[in-house]
Amino acid sequence: MNLEEEKYLIERAKKDPEIFGKLYDEYYPRIFGYILKRTANLEVAQDITSETFLKALRNIWKFRWQNISLSSWLYRIASNEVANFFRKKKYKTISLQETREPVSNYDLLAETIEAQEELKRHKDFLDLQEKILKLPIKYQEVIVLRFLEKKQVKEIGEILSRKEGTVKSLLHRGLEKLREKFNATN
Amino acid sequence: MTNEDLIKKLEETSFPEIEISSHKRRLRTTLLNKYFQEKRIWEVFSILKKAIPVAVTLTILAVLIYNYLILPEYNLAQAREIVLKDPRIKEWLEEGATIKDVKILEKKAYVLVQPASIKETTIISEPQTPKIKEEFFGALVEVDFKDKKIAKIEKITPEIFPITEKEKEKVTEIFKNSPDIKEAIPEETKIVKIIPTPPPRLSIIKKGDSVEVVPEPNGENKVWVIYEQNKKQWESKVDLDNGKIESTNLVGEPGE
Repeated sequence: MNLEEEKYLIERAKKDPEIFGKLYDEYYPRIFGYILKRTANLEVAQDITSETFLKALRNIWKFRWQNISLSSWLYRIASNEVANFFRKKKYKTISLQETREPVSNYDLLAETIEAQEELKRHKDFLDLQEKILKLPIKYQEVIVLRFLEKKQVKEIGEILSRKEGTVKSLLHRGLEKLREKFNATN
Repeated sequence: MTNEDLIKKLEETSFPEIEISSHKRRLRTTLLNKYFQEKRIWEVFSILKKAIPVAVTLTILAVLIYNYLILPEYNLAQAREIVLKDPRIKEWLEEGATIKDVKILEKKAYVLVQPASIKETTIISEPQTPKIKEEFFGALVEVDFKDKKIAKIEKITPEIFPITEKEKEKVTEIFKNSPDIKEAIPEETKIVKIIPTPPPRLSIIKKGDSVEVVPEPNGENKVWVIYEQNKKQWESKVDLDNGKIESTNLVGEPGE
């Protein structure tokens, strides 16, 4: 979806819930994936994703196009929520409504357990994530966005409301610190 | 590990492509169910956002109107009402006096009561000439809004508008040289008092924390001269600008 299409859809999403649903479908996998990479915890990732989209719904009416894409805006909300989680070390669980489709709590639990098994299979990721988590939040954010989410420095700047130079400097220092963690383990 | 090794590791690590579809569906349903509720909240908020500046402006306007238009009018009306309840003032008003001016100062009102006109023969005279009664030149009434009553009534006397020594000398000079006076009045008469003619209109001015009654300039520079001999008393109205005596009257004799 290019920026023009996104802009058009946001304006329509303010009037039509179905369009909002379409945007949700488009961005849910990316946002959930980002939060999972930041937390490496499926239950927490689900809760933070729910809160991120609820905040997006509450605020979409005042979303103004200011050279920041919807994607960056959603990443910004998600980053703030992840930071809140790390600061408080807890997160409220949002009760989600049942769908008309027969998706029971059991299905959700089974799917989560299955996903956890899948997550455990990515040992490299879990090792890396464990070390990233030892860094201050400001370094975690830039490293995950740059290397795990493959975002450009400019876009990271948009997401975190920081200048490109600051992002570069955070990346540089973050990598230094991460390297120290690896060297200390080895 | 070098920086390059670390970057290579970060770029080559495989990440889990996990999606919990039941969570995605349930969250979608929750969001769509909340959509209209949130939209309504936002619409109300938007209306309030627009209404608040209007409400603030209207409130300021209402306060200004109240303070500068309604409250002064109300205070004036209240001051008049309190003043009219006083029997002395009532009597003055019945005799033709009017409320000429009202000034509000903090929690007090100052009301100026003045007769419509002052008779030319009615002047305060010396104590030894009791035949000439004390007349009403006006009064300054202080009204206390807090207690809703008259705090003070101060009668106004023409002395509050004094004439200068130079004017007094000029009057004496006019009298000495006037043939009419020489003809009508015995030589031994003495000037006992020189009083400026009461100005036709007085007003109240605010002076710091108090008020003062001042004459409104009427363009005239006239005085009343009272003179007497053997308890006989005369009065003359003198125009100081022209140096002329306008009128002379006998105003009292013993035994009257």
